[in-house]
Amino acid sequence: MAIFRSDEEAKVRELFAALERPVELVVAHGPEETPLPGARDIDFGAETQRIAEELAALGDAVTVRVEDEPADAGIRFERYPAVAVLPAGEDVGIRYYGLPWGYELASLVGAVLEAGRRTSSLAAESLDRLAGLDRDLAIDVFVTPT
Amino acid sequence: MLLAYRTALASPRIRAAAIESTEFPTLADAMDVWAVPRIVVNGVPQWDGAVPERVFLDRVLAPGFE
Repeated sequence: MAIFRSDEEAKVRELFAALERPVELVVAHGPEETPLPGARDIDFGAETQRIAEELAALGDAVTVRVEDEPADAGIRFERYPAVAVLPAGEDVGIRYYGLPWGYELASLVGAVLEAGRRTSSLAAESLDRLAGLDRDLAIDVFVTPT
Repeated sequence: MLLAYRTALASPRIRAAAIESTEFPTLADAMDVWAVPRIVVNGVPQWDGAVPERVFLDRVLAPGFE
């Protein structure tokens, strides 16, 4: 099953065609938490990989790499399945943990679009404030697919 | 979610992750996830819901996240 309706796919192709730099999706497989009852028929890792590969097929600037032994990948993952979004091949700490389905597919598409920008879409004032940051922050955003 | 990703892109000191709650129920329980999006900074639950960019930065840049 395609991940987008045809009109949505055309829009995503258009957006991906406008990317200003390459974006790599690194799909990492590893031990997964036991899924909830009712979700046992879903292979979360395989579906995550399929979504990443279908996204990469929608734009020349978007590529996908699959890591079955992520410890050797030089990219740190905390849980699986995972997708790291790398702007111009650089790991800046962007992750999606879990299967990016339903509403959350838009988050992954959004991550690709943001990573594909050469200049930040944040306000200048925000960038000034971030430039003064003197400690490390790990921001986790818990989401659901609906 | 995109605000968190934007801050990670803009600062080498920030990393940002989306976590699908239903797939990681143990972690979601530990973070008291009842509503989404729930924002957790350095392992400490902070707030639920989308907020404007300025408010997002006010909160994540507030002192205390060492």
